[in-house]
Amino acid sequence: MAMEPGGKTQNTMIEAKGVVKSFNGRMVLNHLELRVMRGETLVIIGRSGCGKSVLIKHFIGLLKPDEGEVLVEGTNVSQLSTKQLNQLRMRFGMLFQGSALFDSLTVGENVGFMLGEHTRLSDKAVRERVEEALELVGLKGIQDLKPSELSGGMKKRVALARAICMKPEILLYDEPTTGLDPIMADAINDLIIELHDKLRVTSVAVTHDMVSAYKIATRIAMMYQGKIVQMGVPEEIRNTQDPVVRQFITGSAAGPITEGGAKSMGNGGM
Amino acid sequence: MKDILERAGRTVIGSVQYAGGVFILFARTLFWMAISPLRPRQAFEQMVKIGVNSLPIATVTSFFIGVVIAFQSAYQMQKVGAKLYIPSLISISITREIGPVLTALVVAGRVGASIAAELGSMKVTEQIDALETLATNPVKYLVAPRFLALLVMLPLLTVYADAIGILGGYVVSVYKLGIPHALYMRMSFEPLVLKDIFTGLSKTLVFASIISVISCFEGMRVEGGAEGVGAATTRAVVTSFILIIVADAFFTVLFYFVT
Repeated sequence: MAMEPGGKTQNTMIEAKGVVKSFNGRMVLNHLELRVMRGETLVIIGRSGCGKSVLIKHFIGLLKPDEGEVLVEGTNVSQLSTKQLNQLRMRFGMLFQGSALFDSLTVGENVGFMLGEHTRLSDKAVRERVEEALELVGLKGIQDLKPSELSGGMKKRVALARAICMKPEILLYDEPTTGLDPIMADAINDLIIELHDKLRVTSVAVTHDMVSAYKIATRIAMMYQGKIVQMGVPEEIRNTQDPVVRQFITGSAAGPITEGGAKSMGNGGM
Repeated sequence: MKDILERAGRTVIGSVQYAGGVFILFARTLFWMAISPLRPRQAFEQMVKIGVNSLPIATVTSFFIGVVIAFQSAYQMQKVGAKLYIPSLISISITREIGPVLTALVVAGRVGASIAAELGSMKVTEQIDALETLATNPVKYLVAPRFLALLVMLPLLTVYADAIGILGGYVVSVYKLGIPHALYMRMSFEPLVLKDIFTGLSKTLVFASIISVISCFEGMRVEGGAEGVGAATTRAVVTSFILIIVADAFFTVLFYFVT
């Protein structure tokens, strides 16, 4: 199993140490600790608006922690210069919740964006790499369409092709299955697993879709009130005794989350 | 009392923060323009969008402004028998003031709004975040080409608008007021010195900077969906309008009363 708390530094890809982040006085991340191991697929679950997306945006330097630090292979992300940060970002691929394709560009230009911006590859080579990336996500020959002509599921897959085009080492997924029908959601799950095996990447996904979490995760971490409250392999999470995690994974409206939420609104919980 | 002071204080802090944000964006834009190679395709695309597509509206507004100035001044000038000076009045007021300011306002309304709305939509759909994750600076990729395009196209549009405005004045003066063609041409261009054109055009560079930086700034800080985009678009246009008029007053004093 990927869970090896003993063999630390060598195998740690991303580490969050005491990360605090507030927006307008509301504390979203509250001294959060997390360790992502090399090669695993870590799924972070939690309620909508609990700060899961905020957390992974810290990994890629889109947000900076108010306190604490985020380390990628031991380097503090918020201390990097612009140039170093860009170099780091080239090793990442990120899939956004709404796909975030550039709607002024074609599918091909979207997928090959990084190649055009950061490499000196010829147009022909770029076209080949774009085709290859699109093939990996099961879409061929749609290079000349505009994002507005695609369905939600296709957009997600194109965005995924864009994220993997530079052969990243780390893939971040922000709600990869949200807004898709169950069949398309499962197709995306299969794709995530397939990419993970083929590209040998470290993946971090945030989601509140438990079906997806159980399917793709090597480990699952539950986020609640700005902290990771439990972490373990899918089996452990499924059989958890923790009432908070239990309520979330069984999806019931009554339980400690909804009761505690009302009481602890003031200190940033949901 | 405390409430009023508090609100006043917050307004002052807000304005200083706003001005600071705009200034930082302006500095970063200049920085990226200086160090990154020109992107011919993007700059060209923006120039077409900003300049060429603004030609119809610039034509209509400046032609009719020329017509109106001719009629209004004729009404006054004829009383004192100074009809002869109508062409000079038209050409000077248009090249110095009305051409540059009117064109800037028209472009702020048309282009400023579209820039703010476009960048605002990109912000709320996370496209600007996506740009950053693709290791591309949004100021370099989005703001710099728009800034450059406005800087090039606004002066050109202004020269064009000046000419069309003078043509509007010509049509009224020659066909309605009975000023002969040769006389109109002479009275129009003789008093026009290089300084008039130069001051008119140098202002447009400042107007172009105002429109591009304010609109991009408003667009890139949009929060909260479609409503936020709408509000940012409005603010971009209103702020640009005010700053253009204020800057114009400043330059008039600087060019004609200080030196």
